Amino acid sequence: MRVSGPGRPGGMAVLFAVLALALAALVPAAGAGELDRAGIARQFPPPLVVGEKDDALPVWPILKQQAGSYEVFAYAFESIDFAPIPGFGGTPPDLLIALAPDGNFRDVKVLSHREPVFLEGLGPEPLFAFVEQYAGLSARQPIRVGRPNARAAGASAQTTVDGIAMATASTRTINQSILASALAVARGKLGFGAANVGLSVEAKPDLFEPLGFDALLSRGWVRRLTVTRGEAARAFRGTGVEEGGEGAPGEAVVDLYVALLDVPSIGRNLLGAARHAALMHELGPGNHAVMVLSAGPADAAENPLGETFVLGSVPERVSVSQGGLVVNARDMAVERRGAGLGEGLPAGDWTILRIDSAAGFDPSAPWTLTDRIVRERGQILSEKIARDFSVETTLPGDLFARVAAQEGPDWTESWRARLPALAGIAGMLALLVPVLARRRGLVADARRFPAFRLAFLALTVGFVGYGAQAQLSIVTLMGLVRAVFRTHDFAFLLYDPPSLVLWAFVLASLVLWGRGTFCGWLCPFGAMQELVAWLARPLRIRQVAVPPRLDRPLRAVKYAVLAGLLAATAAGWPAADAMAEVEPFKTAITLSFLRSWPFVAYAVGLLALNLFVYKGFCRYLCPLGAGLALAGRLRVLDWIPRRAECGTPCQLCKVRCRYGAIAPDGRIDYPECFQCMECVTIIQDPGQCVPQVVARRHAKRIVPRPVPTR
Amino acid sequence: MSARPTRRRVLLGASGLAAAGIAGLRAQAGARGLTVRTRAGLALGTTVSLTAAGPDPDALDAALSEGMAALRTVEHAASLFRPDSALSRLNRDGHLDAPPAALTTMLAFALGLAERTGGAFDPTVQPLWPLWSQAAERGARPEPAALRDCLARVGWRRVRLSPEAITLEPGTAVTLNALVQGHAADAVMAALRARGIADAFVDTGEFGAAGAHPDGTPWRLGLADPRRRGEVAAVIAPFTGFAATSGDYNMAFSPDFSDHHIFDPATGHSPRGLASVTVTAPSGLLADGLSTACMVLGPERGGALVARHRGCALRVSVKA
Repeated sequence: MRVSGPGRPGGMAVLFAVLALALAALVPAAGAGELDRAGIARQFPPPLVVGEKDDALPVWPILKQQAGSYEVFAYAFESIDFAPIPGFGGTPPDLLIALAPDGNFRDVKVLSHREPVFLEGLGPEPLFAFVEQYAGLSARQPIRVGRPNARAAGASAQTTVDGIAMATASTRTINQSILASALAVARGKLGFGAANVGLSVEAKPDLFEPLGFDALLSRGWVRRLTVTRGEAARAFRGTGVEEGGEGAPGEAVVDLYVALLDVPSIGRNLLGAARHAALMHELGPGNHAVMVLSAGPADAAENPLGETFVLGSVPERVSVSQGGLVVNARDMAVERRGAGLGEGLPAGDWTILRIDSAAGFDPSAPWTLTDRIVRERGQILSEKIARDFSVETTLPGDLFARVAAQEGPDWTESWRARLPALAGIAGMLALLVPVLARRRGLVADARRFPAFRLAFLALTVGFVGYGAQAQLSIVTLMGLVRAVFRTHDFAFLLYDPPSLVLWAFVLASLVLWGRGTFCGWLCPFGAMQELVAWLARPLRIRQVAVPPRLDRPLRAVKYAVLAGLLAATAAGWPAADAMAEVEPFKTAITLSFLRSWPFVAYAVGLLALNLFVYKGFCRYLCPLGAGLALAGRLRVLDWIPRRAECGTPCQLCKVRCRYGAIAPDGRIDYPECFQCMECVTIIQDPGQCVPQVVARRHAKRIVPRPVPTR
Repeated sequence: MSARPTRRRVLLGASGLAAAGIAGLRAQAGARGLTVRTRAGLALGTTVSLTAAGPDPDALDAALSEGMAALRTVEHAASLFRPDSALSRLNRDGHLDAPPAALTTMLAFALGLAERTGGAFDPTVQPLWPLWSQAAERGARPEPAALRDCLARVGWRRVRLSPEAITLEPGTAVTLNALVQGHAADAVMAALRARGIADAFVDTGEFGAAGAHPDGTPWRLGLADPRRRGEVAAVIAPFTGFAATSGDYNMAFSPDFSDHHIFDPATGHSPRGLASVTVTAPSGLLADGLSTACMVLGPERGGALVARHRGCALRVSVKA
């Protein structure tokens, strides 16, 4: 496809410059939003009052007036002040979070972010809807980002928020920012302990002591909550519903026994060994079971486990709390008939409540069981009046062991969720490597190999790019530089498993074969360019060959771009992210061209360029390719076969190489080689390879042999 | 003796505020050519609010900022809620050089009041707090032996105070929670007065008022019922000067309010006689100290103590 003549490469350079300038002007300057008092007041309008900013932590108390005085409604803060977790391209999102004094999120709002998927692709609405899910959740427990519609599919609504397709990494960053900053504020302002974070407290399973019911009661391991008619009447005094039913004031209307069953010395003694073992099996590790037995009058309205009790529900009238926060405890709906509870237990209705390990419940710390008595006042428009009665349980710490949380940190889930993508990529690599390694195999088949290559490139665009979203990008290299120089946190690498696997493969192939394996086969944007270039022939467009005197300096441009980007990143220059837009991958692959028009024009322009200048972006501009080319100098194999005649006199491969990666003397310029295998195909084809054609004419066989490089 | 700052919701604040709210207040004040500014926040373990009225909004804002700064100064000196306060450091180290003025003022007043009340008011009851709160978590009272050991470390003569340094005997810890909110009201009022504010109402956990309500009527202070949350038992009107309340109900260890956060230094138990005491006085410091002392002394001896102080008055609510 080489055409003699100068072409118009100068015009191309001008085009690049114009596009780059347009981009630089387009991307707004980064800046962390710092709300002042007026800004906070706009978010929390009257009747809420913005209190004085805390003088130790950047937290604004939001107050509301209550009977002439003020109550704390929420603590408001910006996530960026406590947990600046880098998002896409390293810029942390900033969220305005309102945390209620009980540790629940009142509200989460997005103040600023640079996540391209929400700036351009999906638009901001899904992000706003995403953060709205936090209102009402507790900062005490870990919250995970599930799949889209995870909650509807049965994931716990207390510990899961629905994820957003195409925005996995961004939503994780937002989630982490919210949780980490809320925890920091909760510890500073609400007195949260660190005990419940990342650590679970479980009963020692082998510690057992046979104890009777009375011994358990006297030790306080089983607690009793009794409310007499007189006590209830006193609690309801002045409400008009002091009297509930008839009977002596000293008669108990509520008589509850409360026991934490997952402690063997309690549960096994109460339930018997077999029943306890079955319960523990059903409960699962890390979770807790609280039994409440109502030994009071079964038909009394005060019996919380009477007729109104709903099996399998979170009970309305008994609740478990710890540190002032209610813990989610749900009836396990254990089969009640023939219950055969252990010896000596009083008769009565009972429930076993399950507390999930994610609830952050610490059984070694004091916890409270609260019974609520509800009475109705009035006949027609009846009004419910409730009074609470509590009993606290404090179990000895040596019954429990502190163990690391069962579930791994957040990134393992992203690996599990991306397994299909990982398998697909692994399959593609398993297909590609033997083909490239066996020079006399498919590569030597001048008819079938180009078809294989086209098919593989289509797969790279469709699956690696759009399917698995595993377009490697200079942004990762910039993230590494930022981690080395600034944040020292490399965890961001783990959140995108397909890319990480591809990176590992690319690094290995760099050492063996050089940059070409990635640039020529696995880069989705590169593959897209090649597919566009392939259209040139049916469209009868003559591609331009860049003359060497222009080609050489243009090749150097990509190294300058790389150096500029990495230097700007290392220096912490905010414009670095904007500069990374020189790479159109985000526009073309991540956002599938759903972006504002200058970005789309730039990406489409670079693709259309291939009709005239073959892979101009890859060869002259791509900073990632430049980085890989530099690292590719570590390559150990000169794997492209050469003959003594290559270069002198034969120039066939040099002329046919569309990358200009073969020197006139026949040597391969590996940093510029894209491993397209065309020259390998030629050299294996006795009908194409000129020295072999000549040799055959002379009826003489010549074996290709490697030539040592200098 | 109050061993830990608490949210005392005895006083319902200016009843005008409670009834009309900020918007109503603004409208009424506007009719008299006055502007009202309110600043709220968290300090001393409770919510605080400062309200000032005057003709010039900028002057009000500047004055309220100084009032808040004065509050922070008191907090940095003597709040046990802040581990970095001067008082917290004194308790940790047993010694403090160059104590801030607010701390020496309060401690000097506390030691003087201890002497006048024969030790019924004592700023060294702090060690009783962890003993009682930990016992309450177990649903019990402290062991008599532990209580005796603890009381051996209590005694106001175990504190040596000079303007240069404060020294505690080993094992002794000081609380000024019985005074700090009242003194904060003094400090804020002084800051507002220095800025020329004539009409102001401050809630620092205890209350202070000067001048009149912006609508021209006197300030009114509602006193909450110690047994029925959110209900007004009495109203002080007109209210100027300072008022402080001590009660048994807000940090009670037992549901019948018999064990709570105020301790009799002689016994280590909570005094039995009163449910709540409100003292009005010419300074917040005096009101706050007298109200706590009266809780310990009971109605008769407390009444006699208050009567010895000019400009002070006492209202008590006896335990049921």
